[in-house]
Amino acid sequence: MFGKSSNGLDIAIQRAVEQARDTNFFEAGTTGRGVYPFINLFEKDGDLVLATELPGVKKEELTLEVREDVLRLAGMRKIEYGEECSCHRLERKGLNFDRSLKLPFRIEGGKIQAEFKDGLLMVFLPRAESDKPKKIVIN
Amino acid sequence: MSEKPVVAKTEAQDLQKQEHKEEQTFAGRFFIPQTDIVENKESLIVIMDLPGVKKEDLRIKLENNMLEVDGKICYSPYEKLNPVYTEYSIGNYVRRFTVSHAVDTRNIDAVLKDGVLSLTLLKAPEVKPREILVK
Repeated sequence: MFGKSSNGLDIAIQRAVEQARDTNFFEAGTTGRGVYPFINLFEKDGDLVLATELPGVKKEELTLEVREDVLRLAGMRKIEYGEECSCHRLERKGLNFDRSLKLPFRIEGGKIQAEFKDGLLMVFLPRAESDKPKKIVIN
Repeated sequence: MSEKPVVAKTEAQDLQKQEHKEEQTFAGRFFIPQTDIVENKESLIVIMDLPGVKKEDLRIKLENNMLEVDGKICYSPYEKLNPVYTEYSIGNYVRRFTVSHAVDTRNIDAVLKDGVLSLTLLKAPEVKPREILVK
Protein backbone atom coordinates (compact mmCIF):
# COMPACT_ATOMS: atom_id res chain seq x y z
CA MET A 1 0.00 0.00 0.00
CA PHE A 2 2.74 2.45 0.92
CA GLY A 3 5.45 1.82 -1.58
CA LYS A 4 9.01 2.83 -1.12
CA SER A 5 8.17 6.40 -2.05
CA SER A 6 9.89 7.96 0.91
CA ASN A 7 12.25 10.09 -1.11
CA GLY A 8 13.58 13.24 0.47
CA LEU A 9 11.90 15.65 -1.95
CA ASP A 10 8.40 14.29 -1.25
CA ILE A 11 8.90 14.81 2.44
CA ALA A 12 10.44 18.26 1.95
CA ILE A 13 7.41 19.37 -0.10
CA GLN A 14 5.01 17.96 2.47
CA ARG A 15 6.85 19.77 5.26
CA ALA A 16 6.90 23.08 3.37
CA VAL A 17 3.15 22.89 2.76
CA GLU A 18 2.48 22.00 6.37
CA GLN A 19 4.69 24.80 7.61
CA ALA A 20 2.98 27.35 5.36
CA ARG A 21 -0.39 26.22 6.65
CA ASP A 22 0.77 26.23 10.25
CA THR A 23 1.72 29.88 10.06
CA ASN A 24 -1.81 30.78 9.01
CA PHE A 25 -0.31 33.17 6.46
CA PHE A 26 -2.93 32.36 3.81
CA GLU A 27 -5.90 32.54 6.08
CA ALA A 28 -7.71 35.13 8.15
CA GLY A 29 -6.33 35.72 11.61
CA THR A 30 -2.90 36.23 12.98
CA THR A 31 0.22 34.53 11.74
CA GLY A 32 2.85 32.98 13.92
CA ARG A 33 1.02 29.83 14.87
CA GLY A 34 3.82 27.67 13.55
CA VAL A 35 6.53 28.64 16.00
CA TYR A 36 8.69 25.90 17.43
CA PRO A 37 9.16 24.99 20.17
CA PHE A 38 6.11 26.01 22.14
CA ILE A 39 7.07 27.75 25.35
CA ASN A 40 5.31 28.14 28.66
CA LEU A 41 6.42 30.80 31.08
CA PHE A 42 5.58 30.67 34.75
CA GLU A 43 6.17 33.02 37.62
CA LYS A 44 7.46 31.84 40.98
CA ASP A 45 8.30 34.22 43.82
CA GLY A 46 9.02 37.06 41.41
CA ASP A 47 11.29 34.96 39.18
CA LEU A 48 10.48 33.19 35.94
CA VAL A 49 10.38 29.51 35.06
CA LEU A 50 10.39 28.48 31.42
CA ALA A 51 9.11 25.10 30.29
CA THR A 52 9.34 23.63 26.82
CA GLU A 53 9.00 20.17 25.35
CA LEU A 54 11.84 19.05 23.12
CA PRO A 55 11.56 15.28 22.76
CA GLY A 56 14.44 13.67 20.93
CA VAL A 57 16.67 16.74 21.09
CA LYS A 58 20.10 16.11 22.51
CA LYS A 59 21.53 18.34 25.19
CA GLU A 60 24.60 19.04 23.05
CA GLU A 61 22.43 20.25 20.16
CA LEU A 62 20.64 22.83 22.23
CA THR A 63 21.72 26.44 22.74
CA LEU A 64 20.23 28.52 25.48
CA GLU A 65 21.29 32.14 25.82
CA VAL A 66 20.13 35.08 27.86
CA ARG A 67 21.15 38.65 27.18
CA GLU A 68 19.57 41.13 29.54
CA ASP A 69 15.88 40.47 29.02
CA VAL A 70 16.01 38.44 25.80
CA LEU A 71 16.15 34.68 25.89
CA ARG A 72 17.24 32.67 22.90
CA LEU A 73 16.56 29.00 22.42
CA ALA A 74 18.11 27.38 19.38
CA GLY A 75 18.94 23.91 18.25
CA MET A 76 18.02 21.14 15.94
CA ARG A 77 15.85 18.11 16.06
CA LYS A 78 17.09 15.40 13.81
CA ILE A 79 14.79 12.66 12.64
CA GLU A 80 16.46 10.17 10.38
CA TYR A 81 15.56 6.74 9.23
CA GLY A 82 17.88 4.60 7.22
CA GLU A 83 17.71 4.22 3.47
CA GLU A 84 16.24 0.73 3.79
CA CYS A 85 13.26 2.00 5.81
CA SER A 86 9.92 2.66 4.17
CA CYS A 87 7.67 5.10 5.97
CA HIS A 88 4.06 4.41 6.89
CA ARG A 89 3.41 7.45 8.99
CA LEU A 90 5.49 10.55 9.62
CA GLU A 91 3.96 12.88 12.18
CA ARG A 92 7.06 13.97 14.03
CA LYS A 93 9.04 16.81 12.53
CA GLY A 94 12.75 17.18 12.33
CA LEU A 95 13.76 20.82 12.08
CA ASN A 96 16.18 23.54 13.02
CA PHE A 97 14.77 26.06 15.40
CA ASP A 98 15.87 29.40 16.72
CA ARG A 99 13.52 31.35 18.89
CA SER A 100 13.97 34.50 20.90
CA LEU A 101 11.65 35.67 23.58
CA LYS A 102 11.53 39.04 25.27
CA LEU A 103 11.04 38.64 28.98
CA PRO A 104 9.32 41.18 31.22
CA PHE A 105 12.56 41.96 33.12
CA ARG A 106 16.32 41.45 33.05
CA ILE A 107 17.73 38.12 34.16
CA GLU A 108 20.64 37.45 36.51
CA GLY A 109 22.77 35.55 34.03
CA GLY A 110 24.97 33.79 36.55
CA LYS A 111 22.12 32.25 38.48
CA ILE A 112 20.20 30.57 35.68
CA GLN A 113 19.53 26.89 36.21
CA ALA A 114 18.43 24.59 33.42
CA GLU A 115 17.32 21.02 33.61
CA PHE A 116 16.64 18.86 30.57
CA LYS A 117 15.08 15.52 31.37
CA ASP A 118 12.77 13.16 29.48
CA GLY A 119 12.50 15.68 26.66
CA LEU A 120 11.28 18.41 28.97
CA LEU A 121 13.37 21.54 29.42
CA MET A 122 12.82 23.59 32.55
CA VAL A 123 14.81 26.81 32.99
CA PHE A 124 14.83 28.83 36.15
CA LEU A 125 15.33 32.51 35.32
CA PRO A 126 15.92 34.72 38.36
CA ARG A 127 15.21 38.42 38.11
CA ALA A 128 18.33 40.57 38.08
CA GLU A 129 18.98 42.37 41.35
CA SER A 130 19.50 45.62 39.44
CA ASP A 131 16.06 45.25 37.87
CA LYS A 132 14.18 44.68 41.09
CA PRO A 133 11.99 47.52 42.24
CA LYS A 134 13.58 49.75 44.88
CA LYS A 135 11.56 50.63 47.88
CA ILE A 136 11.66 54.29 48.68
CA VAL A 137 11.36 55.40 52.24
CA ILE A 138 9.15 58.43 52.59
CA ASN A 139 10.39 60.90 55.13
CA MET B 1 -38.85 -20.60 28.92
CA SER B 2 -36.78 -19.90 31.97
CA GLU B 3 -33.52 -20.28 30.05
CA LYS B 4 -34.02 -17.40 27.66
CA PRO B 5 -33.61 -14.50 30.10
CA VAL B 6 -30.55 -16.19 31.57
CA VAL B 7 -28.85 -16.25 28.17
CA ALA B 8 -29.74 -12.63 27.60
CA LYS B 9 -28.32 -11.70 30.94
CA THR B 10 -24.95 -13.33 30.31
CA GLU B 11 -24.79 -11.65 26.93
CA ALA B 12 -25.42 -8.32 28.53
CA GLN B 13 -22.80 -9.08 31.13
CA ASP B 14 -20.30 -10.00 28.46
CA LEU B 15 -20.99 -6.77 26.67
CA GLN B 16 -20.58 -4.83 29.84
CA LYS B 17 -17.32 -6.57 30.58
CA GLN B 18 -16.07 -5.80 27.10
CA GLU B 19 -17.02 -2.16 27.41
CA HIS B 20 -15.32 -1.99 30.72
CA LYS B 21 -12.19 -3.46 29.24
CA GLU B 22 -12.00 -0.96 26.40
CA GLU B 23 -12.92 2.13 28.28
CA GLN B 24 -11.08 3.63 31.12
CA THR B 25 -11.65 6.53 33.39
CA PHE B 26 -8.85 8.69 34.56
CA ALA B 27 -9.00 12.30 35.58
CA GLY B 28 -7.02 14.74 33.49
CA ARG B 29 -6.32 15.63 29.91
CA PHE B 30 -5.09 13.09 27.40
CA PHE B 31 -3.12 13.77 24.24
CA ILE B 32 -2.47 11.64 21.21
CA PRO B 33 1.31 11.52 20.88
CA GLN B 34 2.87 12.27 17.50
CA THR B 35 4.04 9.02 16.02
CA ASP B 36 6.19 7.83 13.16
CA ILE B 37 5.89 4.31 11.83
CA VAL B 38 8.63 2.97 9.62
CA GLU B 39 9.35 -0.47 8.33
CA ASN B 40 12.54 -2.24 7.41
CA LYS B 41 13.28 -5.79 6.39
CA GLU B 42 13.09 -7.32 9.84
CA SER B 43 10.73 -5.11 11.76
CA LEU B 44 8.17 -2.35 12.13
CA ILE B 45 9.36 0.55 14.24
CA VAL B 46 6.95 2.84 16.06
CA ILE B 47 8.51 6.08 17.34
CA MET B 48 6.48 8.26 19.63
CA ASP B 49 7.07 11.64 21.29
CA LEU B 50 6.26 11.44 24.97
CA PRO B 51 7.91 14.48 26.55
CA GLY B 52 7.83 14.52 30.32
CA VAL B 53 6.96 10.85 30.74
CA LYS B 54 9.23 8.87 33.02
CA LYS B 55 10.07 5.23 32.40
CA GLU B 56 8.13 4.06 35.44
CA ASP B 57 4.99 5.95 34.38
CA LEU B 58 4.80 4.35 30.96
CA ARG B 59 2.58 1.33 30.35
CA ILE B 60 2.67 -0.61 27.13
CA LYS B 61 0.07 -3.29 26.83
CA LEU B 62 -0.71 -5.81 24.14
CA GLU B 63 -4.09 -7.45 24.26
CA ASN B 64 -6.01 -9.14 21.44
CA ASN B 65 -3.69 -7.58 18.85
CA MET B 66 -4.32 -4.14 20.30
CA LEU B 67 -1.16 -2.36 21.30
CA GLU B 68 -1.77 0.41 23.78
CA VAL B 69 0.74 2.98 24.94
CA ASP B 70 -0.26 4.90 28.03
CA GLY B 71 2.09 7.53 29.46
CA LYS B 72 1.34 9.52 32.56
CA ILE B 73 3.14 12.75 33.19
CA CYS B 74 4.28 14.08 36.50
CA TYR B 75 2.70 17.39 37.50
CA SER B 76 5.07 18.05 40.40
CA PRO B 77 7.47 20.37 38.49
CA TYR B 78 4.51 22.68 37.84
CA GLU B 79 3.47 23.00 41.46
CA LYS B 80 3.45 26.49 42.94
CA LEU B 81 3.95 28.05 39.50
CA ASN B 82 1.72 30.79 38.18
CA PRO B 83 1.34 30.80 34.42
CA VAL B 84 2.20 34.17 32.87
CA TYR B 85 2.49 33.25 29.22
CA THR B 86 1.47 29.87 27.84
CA GLU B 87 1.52 28.31 24.42
CA TYR B 88 0.80 24.66 25.14
CA SER B 89 -0.96 22.62 27.73
CA ILE B 90 0.22 19.45 29.33
CA GLY B 91 -1.44 16.12 29.92
CA ASN B 92 -1.10 12.38 29.76
CA TYR B 93 -0.64 10.47 26.55
CA VAL B 94 -2.53 7.52 25.17
CA ARG B 95 -2.57 5.88 21.77
CA ARG B 96 -3.71 2.52 20.47
CA PHE B 97 -2.72 0.56 17.43
CA THR B 98 -4.04 -2.62 15.93
CA VAL B 99 -1.19 -5.01 15.33
CA SER B 100 -1.54 -7.37 12.41
CA HIS B 101 -0.67 -11.04 12.42
CA ALA B 102 2.44 -10.18 10.48
CA VAL B 103 4.05 -9.14 13.77
CA ASP B 104 5.69 -11.53 16.17
CA THR B 105 3.88 -10.29 19.27
CA ARG B 106 6.18 -12.14 21.66
CA ASN B 107 9.15 -10.06 20.59
CA ILE B 108 8.42 -6.40 21.12
CA ASP B 109 11.22 -4.19 22.28
CA ALA B 110 10.60 -0.79 23.88
CA VAL B 111 13.16 1.92 24.61
CA LEU B 112 12.39 5.32 26.15
CA LYS B 113 15.07 7.94 25.73
CA ASP B 114 14.92 11.75 25.94
CA GLY B 115 11.14 11.67 25.84
CA VAL B 116 10.98 9.49 22.73
CA LEU B 117 9.65 5.96 22.81
CA SER B 118 10.88 3.48 20.21
CA LEU B 119 8.95 0.28 19.84
CA THR B 120 10.47 -2.39 17.66
CA LEU B 121 8.00 -4.99 16.46
CA LEU B 122 9.72 -7.89 14.78
CA LYS B 123 8.00 -9.38 11.79
CA ALA B 124 6.74 -12.93 12.10
CA PRO B 125 9.06 -15.40 10.34
CA GLU B 126 6.31 -16.50 7.93
CA VAL B 127 5.87 -13.02 6.45
CA LYS B 128 9.54 -12.23 6.00
CA PRO B 129 10.53 -12.11 2.36
CA ARG B 130 12.43 -15.14 1.25
CA GLU B 131 13.84 -16.21 -2.02
CA ILE B 132 12.80 -19.44 -3.64
CA LEU B 133 15.52 -21.32 -5.35
CA VAL B 134 14.85 -22.53 -8.84
CA LYS B 135 16.04 -26.05 -9.37
